[in-house]
Amino acid sequence: MTAEVLKYTLEQVEALELAPGAEHENLEGWVPTLANDEDLRQALDKAFDYRGDVTLTLKNGERGEAPEKIEAYIFNRHTGATLADSWVQYYSPNAPEKRKVSYAEIARIEFSGKDRAAGKHWEDWVKAYNEKKAAGEKGIALEPEALE
Amino acid sequence: MAVPISQMWTVATYVLKKKLAGNKRYPLVLMLEPLFRCNLACAGCGKVQYPPHILKKQLSPEECFAAVEECGAPMVSIPGGEPLLHPRIVEIVNGLVARKKYIYLCTNALELKRRLPEFTPSKYLTFSVHLDGQREHHDFSVCREGGYNIAVEGIKEAVKRGFRVTTNATFFDGTDPSSVRAFFDEVMDMGVEGIVLSPGYSYDKAPDQNRFLGRARVRRLFRAILSNRKPTWKFNMSPLFLEFLMGDRKYECTPWGSPAYNIFGWQRPCYLLQEGYAESFKELLETTQWEEYGVASGNPKCANCMVSCGYEPSAVIEGFGSLKGFWGIVRGTFSLYRDEHALKLLNEATPHGPANLVKIAASAEKTEPVLEETRA
Repeated sequence: MTAEVLKYTLEQVEALELAPGAEHENLEGWVPTLANDEDLRQALDKAFDYRGDVTLTLKNGERGEAPEKIEAYIFNRHTGATLADSWVQYYSPNAPEKRKVSYAEIARIEFSGKDRAAGKHWEDWVKAYNEKKAAGEKGIALEPEALE
Repeated sequence: MAVPISQMWTVATYVLKKKLAGNKRYPLVLMLEPLFRCNLACAGCGKVQYPPHILKKQLSPEECFAAVEECGAPMVSIPGGEPLLHPRIVEIVNGLVARKKYIYLCTNALELKRRLPEFTPSKYLTFSVHLDGQREHHDFSVCREGGYNIAVEGIKEAVKRGFRVTTNATFFDGTDPSSVRAFFDEVMDMGVEGIVLSPGYSYDKAPDQNRFLGRARVRRLFRAILSNRKPTWKFNMSPLFLEFLMGDRKYECTPWGSPAYNIFGWQRPCYLLQEGYAESFKELLETTQWEEYGVASGNPKCANCMVSCGYEPSAVIEGFGSLKGFWGIVRGTFSLYRDEHALKLLNEATPHGPANLVKIAASAEKTEPVLEETRA
């Protein structure tokens, strides 16, 4: 929790009727401008929250030998005092193990993968259900997305 | 309370040992997520939105056993994703039974009837079947017509084969308390050991953000549902936690009480929030900024949370950690919670919101509408 986040008092918490939901940013396809260290930190914070793959372009290639572009699902990050001691941890589609890369090595970020948390709103389901029901369909259901 | 004596004894002695040893932070239930893949696509779910290469990953039995042994909790809940989609789930379950862990395998039961012959009944193994209410409510909640019937078939077959079975329901804004009470009658008639329930939580990543209950509304809803109980209803939960949901008790969150382990590692700070991962349980305990979480912290992400994974450990620790708490368990186990005010709340409840789009015949319990705020 960062210092600038609005905090609730206990009285406010206990009186809540409905929980304020999170704002969902449309980040798919975004390529943030990284003019300074703070831009990079903020972009990687968003990449950490993003439920899709991103493409990281490294300054010198990953550990000097890996391809310059990494497709990554970022699931963890550590923010140190400098970019050199800050890192993100990720899974790549073509590698079984967890990997880390330093903030200092990253030159470009592209939110290249599909945002898996976008859409699929309750209202969309209600609308689709009512339409299918009116059309006389049976066995109405949402199906999980294919894994291939 | 429906929890067997042997399980209560195991948990009670574990809590007492930790208390005598002076341990301030210790786990009660490991939330072991062996995979995120699911065979449902519930519109409100915030757990399974991942790219395909993440959904294809899964923990090996060896990774599961290492996590269980490192954590040391006496109970292991196996949610997901859908655990029955894991190709080695039987091996995982058998390994945990051999380690004498009380397991709650959380399943939507779409595969349960087919997979049951692979499992062996044990006092250590409970199938915790996701059922969000009566047939129409459940089917609408999980976005699949026919889902309820399949799950009930699985429940009945599991009961017939001698397995421990509970149902597990999550309630959102718009829930009809009278329908929930009728649902309790239905599931007890199926022969389940007990009912597990919880208010929903607004995961950041849930596609839908408009159906989550705030704490004031949670208390009114659960006071209406859980007061004036029928003697046939059994709950596989701490009575003190149920009193917390009804507004009779105040607890602070115990996020380390139900630590979560999955393909990413040990999740910080709890099963619901994803603020990062630790490589070991020790690292999780020692390096998480616990003071930044829970209602007392003022953290907006914790503001509406009254979910069992954070607050039931608080209730269990009070219940088995003091004579006063234990007396509360005894009293709660046998009380029907007679409450005229709650009956009025039930009568005046006007279901609204998306959940009420599904129409179910009104319960006979309805009488004249009366407006009454919870006394919590």
